Amino acid sequence: MAQAFEGKLEKLDHFRWKIPQTYKSGMKVPGLIYANESLLPGILNDKALEQVTNVAYLPGIVKYSLAMPDIHWGYGFSIGGVAATDPENQGVISPGGVGYDINCGVRLVRSDLVLEDLRHRLEALVNSLFNSIPSGVGSSGDIRASARDEEEIFLKGAGWAIKKGYGAKEDLEFTEDKGSIEGADPSKVSKRAYERGKDQSGTLGSGNHFLEIQVVDEIYDERKASAFGLFKGQVTMMIHSGSRGLGYQICDDYVKSMVNCLGKYGINVPDRQLACAPVHSPEGKAYLGGMKCAANYAWTNRQCLMHLARNVFEKVFNKSWNALGLRLVYDVAHNIAKMEKHKSEGKEKLLCVHRKGATRAFPPGHPDLPGPYKEAGQPVLIPGDMGTFSYVLAGSNGSMEETFGSTCHGAGRRLSRSSAIKACHGRQIDKELFNKSGIIVRSKTRGALAEEAPEAYKNVNEVVDVVHGAGLSTKVARMRPLGVIKG
Amino acid sequence: MKPFEFINHTADVGIKARGSTLTELFENAARGMFAVIAREGCDAKGSKAEKSIEVCKNSDNFEETLVGWLSELLYIFNREKIYFNDFKILSLNDGGIKAEATGVNIDLYQSSLYTEIKAVTFHNLKIEEDVDGFSCTIIFDV
Repeated sequence: MAQAFEGKLEKLDHFRWKIPQTYKSGMKVPGLIYANESLLPGILNDKALEQVTNVAYLPGIVKYSLAMPDIHWGYGFSIGGVAATDPENQGVISPGGVGYDINCGVRLVRSDLVLEDLRHRLEALVNSLFNSIPSGVGSSGDIRASARDEEEIFLKGAGWAIKKGYGAKEDLEFTEDKGSIEGADPSKVSKRAYERGKDQSGTLGSGNHFLEIQVVDEIYDERKASAFGLFKGQVTMMIHSGSRGLGYQICDDYVKSMVNCLGKYGINVPDRQLACAPVHSPEGKAYLGGMKCAANYAWTNRQCLMHLARNVFEKVFNKSWNALGLRLVYDVAHNIAKMEKHKSEGKEKLLCVHRKGATRAFPPGHPDLPGPYKEAGQPVLIPGDMGTFSYVLAGSNGSMEETFGSTCHGAGRRLSRSSAIKACHGRQIDKELFNKSGIIVRSKTRGALAEEAPEAYKNVNEVVDVVHGAGLSTKVARMRPLGVIKG
Repeated sequence: MKPFEFINHTADVGIKARGSTLTELFENAARGMFAVIAREGCDAKGSKAEKSIEVCKNSDNFEETLVGWLSELLYIFNREKIYFNDFKILSLNDGGIKAEATGVNIDLYQSSLYTEIKAVTFHNLKIEEDVDGFSCTIIFDV
């Protein structure tokens, strides 16, 4: 059973709680939790806060071990955790601070369609998407990549997909890092990882991964929404997937290699899953080179998934995707480590920012934003559970000042998978969702529906209200699900 | 003594495995892992498959060997689509592990699996010994 956090928690204001550095002698910085009074009891009843304090042991960690309001117990790092380390001050990189699903992330596609256009076609659309998009345990797809292609995917990311005709050049403009992070090193990818990545491009996977058809049901900021091409009543599509077996294997390889070199670098962490190595060490550099290959693979994967889905829309509506206005709003990574410039102790420094279940949220004017979004800020995509809402937020200045340009990534689990199954015993979640809200759900794996039932998650509205209230990102639009394909 | 049971974990899945000997603990942990993948059992009626498994370690740290052993089985499951249901450990010592595993060849689409395990984690992993033998909690990333 999960035990409640027994340490001291200082309330700083309505949205911020601090775990003092004195809580454990090995902590190098305090912990900072973003939450409100109603989310806090759930957070305290989980082991996540112990994990926040464990992360504070990492050599070279800067300012705080941070936790977003969707925080919950993971392994090593909590999910919803952010930590930045300073490579010039023995800062480390930790594969467990990224997770096995490297560059798991979300993309949002807008359309010119409105709810009325789906009235008689929703079921056909969902069924057709379900049949056309490979999903489920170990799913493999029709998009085949040769060994040479795979290396190109590692190096060029989503650009490979565009070259193959799986999308348009402008898609890259609206993908974090333009769908390809620099410095990927295919020689740091093991043979096993290569093998596992080979036939999984353009596959959704299982667990909490999904493709969802939605309708925009609320606009909070007209100007930003209009900059992102969003309007009330509009049909959108959200895709949540990652780097599949390739990423799992790369993380696995490097956790094992770093467990073995902790002694060599004199690193003491309270949980072996936090195994790490200095960013500048051979092990650290190797992991970064390999991790970037997986990150690029994941962007390619989501690009391929979007391409497959656009094809389905074209068939169902008998129009080209361009004519349907199926443009990419944005694609964000929420499991990744990035070298980014941030202010630390009054100076601008290049830090290694770990985001494990956290989203980049760059504010208006940031040089990395695409031209059309310069004024609005970076779109932040927050999937909710399959029964409630998802959100589009925009990055704001607070994130740069406090959280190394980061914000939350989703609703965050409230119930363990086994508790969710107990709570759903004897129920048919797909039928319930249909009868109650008209949401059509399709899934390949037996476990997915009960484990991913709406009550397994925190209230996404509250999670979003906290990051909005704390000034990390601002609310732009809310979407309600119409049809969901679960992995 | 239950060979293994599922335990609560918020985001992922955990099992507590037990064994009167270290060897039995390792075998039961493998059974537990495949139970996570298929829950009530795999209904595939594929042909029988047998594999020799060897994980070399130069360490007296049995937790690392345990993660290595389970990761190896998971790797073969993913690569060769073999659902393992029986394990026989031939040797287990500081040099690593040698074992034979048997199972069935499956079609991932037809065999109604329960969930995908991404990896075996080291999270709070500790093999404990008491009068009944050995036990260990293992968290899987799913």
